[in-house]
Amino acid sequence: MGMKKITYTLLLFFTAIGSFAQQGQGFSMEQVIKTAPNPQKLVNDFANILTADQQQALERKLTLFSDSTSNEITVVIVPYLDGMDPADAAIAIGRTWGVGGKKNNNGVVLLISVEDRKLNISPGYGLEKSLPDITCQQIIKNIIVPNFRGKDFYRGIEEGTDAIVQATKGEFKADPNYAKRGRPGGIAKLIFFVLIIIVFLAVSSGGRGGGGSFMSSGGAFLLGSLLGGGGRGGGDYGGGSSSGGFGGFGGGSFGGGGSSGSW
Amino acid sequence: MTKQRNTGYIIGGIFLLLLIYGVVTFNSLVQQEEKVKLQWNEVQNAYQRRLDFIPNVVNIVKGQAGFEQETLVKITEARAKASSVTISSGDLSAEKYNQQIAAQNELATATNRLVVSVEKYPELKGTAAFEGLQTQLEGTERRIKIARKDFNAAIAGYNSSVKSFPTKLVAGIFGFQPKEGFQSDAGAEKVVEIKFN
Repeated sequence: MGMKKITYTLLLFFTAIGSFAQQGQGFSMEQVIKTAPNPQKLVNDFANILTADQQQALERKLTLFSDSTSNEITVVIVPYLDGMDPADAAIAIGRTWGVGGKKNNNGVVLLISVEDRKLNISPGYGLEKSLPDITCQQIIKNIIVPNFRGKDFYRGIEEGTDAIVQATKGEFKADPNYAKRGRPGGIAKLIFFVLIIIVFLAVSSGGRGGGGSFMSSGGAFLLGSLLGGGGRGGGDYGGGSSSGGFGGFGGGSFGGGGSSGSW
Repeated sequence: MTKQRNTGYIIGGIFLLLLIYGVVTFNSLVQQEEKVKLQWNEVQNAYQRRLDFIPNVVNIVKGQAGFEQETLVKITEARAKASSVTISSGDLSAEKYNQQIAAQNELATATNRLVVSVEKYPELKGTAAFEGLQTQLEGTERRIKIARKDFNAAIAGYNSSVKSFPTKLVAGIFGFQPKEGFQSDAGAEKVVEIKFN
């Protein structure tokens, strides 16, 4: 009888371990840090603690904020940290993903590790003034942690990001081109190549007298692509971000500002 | 005749390629040197930040009745010494840098001793003022760690360009010297961090 019970417990134990290992499969901090998810998003829930609606609501709010200020606040939720320090992990994510603009370094990473019950807020170089370490600590301690202790992850993240928005909204103003940045490099390159091809064709066919039609059709094409470029990344370049989606991280860097906490 | 002309073109072409290579390499060396200077300034800022926070720590602890005066005197002395070896941002000297690290290590050791002493006074440790300082000091230590890591990486990148073939040739022509003495002495294991438990 006792033997049976032990066997049963062991069986249960191993099944639990098995399912746990399965859950963990495909997730490693190293992998998360190495590459930002594609397409890039501001809300990245690797631990599946938020519903799709909640993720969308947060994503919409943070994208709107980024469109008007160019500040990129990203929320990264992981099941565990693989033994990393939360600050080191958040800064590594911020740096390799390039959260924030390249010039202003105005990104913020809110990293939450569910099983470790640890979290961190790290601002990029450019937001260290509006989000000093002590402010990060207060947001964590007074706003996020009480909600997390009450098992309300969404409300903690919602109110926490509101506080980060509040603190950083006066710092920068988005460039008029920011919201339609899609892949500006790609469009500029395309226009440049088209221009070169047109010039080349015009020059090489100039002697044959048929240059007129070449020039006019090329000119029309160029005009068309320029006009196309004016509206939000020329359609396809936004990568599924046709109406107000997040256009991608800007290459910002981090210098160690911020604070960590636990719940 | 045409053979000679062709040879002329080939030599001219090779010369042009070498010139382009030289210009590109020169530019990348300039960029790498700029990066070293930039990261150097970050290290200096981070150390200055530590110096700026220490008096706040001393002030808060001073108010605690019965706190060991000796600990406070030591930390004040160590801070004075460390601030006497601050380096102006343009002055990239390995010798001064190592002096600075030594002085900063002493300061960190003295501060760590103070942190241990504070453990005896839970009423002090629990105050909002002390907790705030702790957060700020932790942030300062993290900034120092990152700035030093970035600086070491910048130095390593620059030195490898200056020392390895073929960029070495271009570096030699334009007088780029390797920046020696930073890495070996700046090993992370020798650096004392201020730690709270």
